[in-house]
Amino acid sequence: MLSGRPPVTENPLGLSWHDSAWIPVLNPNNIMDYFSERSNPFYDRTCNNEIVKMQRLSPDQLQNMTGLEYILLHVQAPILYVIRKQHRHSPTLAAPLADYYIIAGVVYQAPDLASVVSSRLLSTVHHLQSAFEEASSCSRYHPSKGYYWDFKNGKALAAKKETPVREEPSSLFQRQRVDMLLAELTRKFPLPVPKPVHQAIEPSMEIKQEIKTEKKDMKPPPEKKPKVN
Amino acid sequence: MTEKLRRYEKIDFLGEGQFATVYKAKDIETSKIVAVKKVHYLTMILQANKVLAFIRGNFMIKVGSRAEAKDGINRTALREIKLLQELRHDNVIGLLDVFGHKSNVSLVFDFMDTDLEIIIKDNNIVLTAANIKAYMIQTLQGLDYLHYNWILHRDLKPNNLLVNSEGVLKIGDFGLAKFFGSPNRINTHQVVTRWYRAPELLYGARLYGTGIDMWAIGCILAELLLRVPFLPGESDLDQLTRIFQTLGTPTEETWPGMSELPDFIQFKPFPGTPLKHIFTAASDDLLDLIASLLNVNPLERCSCDQALQMPYFSNKPAPTPGARLPLPTSVKRQPEEKPSLKRKLLESMDGASLAKRLQF
Repeated sequence: MLSGRPPVTENPLGLSWHDSAWIPVLNPNNIMDYFSERSNPFYDRTCNNEIVKMQRLSPDQLQNMTGLEYILLHVQAPILYVIRKQHRHSPTLAAPLADYYIIAGVVYQAPDLASVVSSRLLSTVHHLQSAFEEASSCSRYHPSKGYYWDFKNGKALAAKKETPVREEPSSLFQRQRVDMLLAELTRKFPLPVPKPVHQAIEPSMEIKQEIKTEKKDMKPPPEKKPKVN
Repeated sequence: MTEKLRRYEKIDFLGEGQFATVYKAKDIETSKIVAVKKVHYLTMILQANKVLAFIRGNFMIKVGSRAEAKDGINRTALREIKLLQELRHDNVIGLLDVFGHKSNVSLVFDFMDTDLEIIIKDNNIVLTAANIKAYMIQTLQGLDYLHYNWILHRDLKPNNLLVNSEGVLKIGDFGLAKFFGSPNRINTHQVVTRWYRAPELLYGARLYGTGIDMWAIGCILAELLLRVPFLPGESDLDQLTRIFQTLGTPTEETWPGMSELPDFIQFKPFPGTPLKHIFTAASDDLLDLIASLLNVNPLERCSCDQALQMPYFSNKPAPTPGARLPLPTSVKRQPEEKPSLKRKLLESMDGASLAKRLQF
């Protein structure tokens, strides 16, 4: 039907719908009524279910009708319900058009395979493209040097993202070293004053960290990393 | 006249009313199935008077006084019946023949298997959007023809929309029998079965037009959708209450001149219910048609022609072809069954003869 309802201009896969008043009382007997709520954007009110309901006929009549209908396909009460939209050609033949899943009362449209594949492909291509864009933004040319990489601009961001991952193994090592130094220091200066000792250690730690970051800047050839680890 | 009697061969007794007996009969000349309505002579005079008044009333020009009509009753009445005979439209019941015998007068009509009331009440039938569109188109085309010929039906209801086994709908019962109970006034407001009566009639309007038929069509459409009478008022007052509760109370602005009608009563303002909440499975183009047919202001109500031009009738789904419209289980679709039976019989006969030949 052409003007059944205002057409969903948005991609239905990006939509969800729920009615909080219904959610606590949902069960396999009323889930179809919930789905056929007027405000549900997934429900086409010109479907056979609504015709049968409006004409106060027995729901069994749906089998004898042709056209659009909704059926309850799967129930995993109380959390999951799957509703299928299908086009019925005869009492025995119906072609599925779409599935909808209701999880904890929220209705979503299940994506079809084509949408899943195209979505994955799109995100792959997007990441590849942004990688290339980032890489090409770092390439420089100088008449005497020819082409070279300049990561100073991009690296600042990239390095920050990478540091937390790399820091952990190295910081463990560092901490172990610090612990060792602390142990040594406590041995050399056993009981008397522990607090000045700490104050003395802290600058040394800072220095070491500085050294570490310096090392990282030099790191770019990844050979050093496995050695450290 | 005896020739005419012989022409129509009784098949079945269909029913007996207070004033007429109806038979199913076969026209020997055309081998067509017809309905013969045998009206008693005395009744006939009254009826003819009604027919006359009816037709003059519908032209809405007072052709002659009631006394004049009474004087030349038989001749005039028969001439008027002849006029009815001249109405020819696929969706209007055809008065095929009129003949008299002894003290009886018989009217011969197209034979119709069922009517919309029976179809609406049959819960084994699903009326799809396409079926409803098919019925609406046929009704509006028939009514358009009547209105074009200056005839108001004034008693449209599902019971008077007759359907045959081929799925052809014809507007029937032109007040011939229905006119008995009503006072013989031209333009009485006591027309139309209450549930299908337009608000201006309920307010006692004496000057009305095609709008009253259009309102009835709107009520019938609603009944096709809901499968129960849309506004089943228990009294005239209750009828108005139901109309306004459903569609909203009109004001002088929405219906100018309303308060000047003879039986006007101010109702408390009801906001009305949105049609899409009542007809939940109806498409938007159908809701537009309902709103236009059930416009409380008769001047803004659409005409048959306007209704047929509305997008509903050109949009999908296409109306169901007549042969595929649903029929109640009591009505058998004869053209489909008979040939197949014949064929089976012929086949079995052939088979038997073939077998004999093989034996020899």
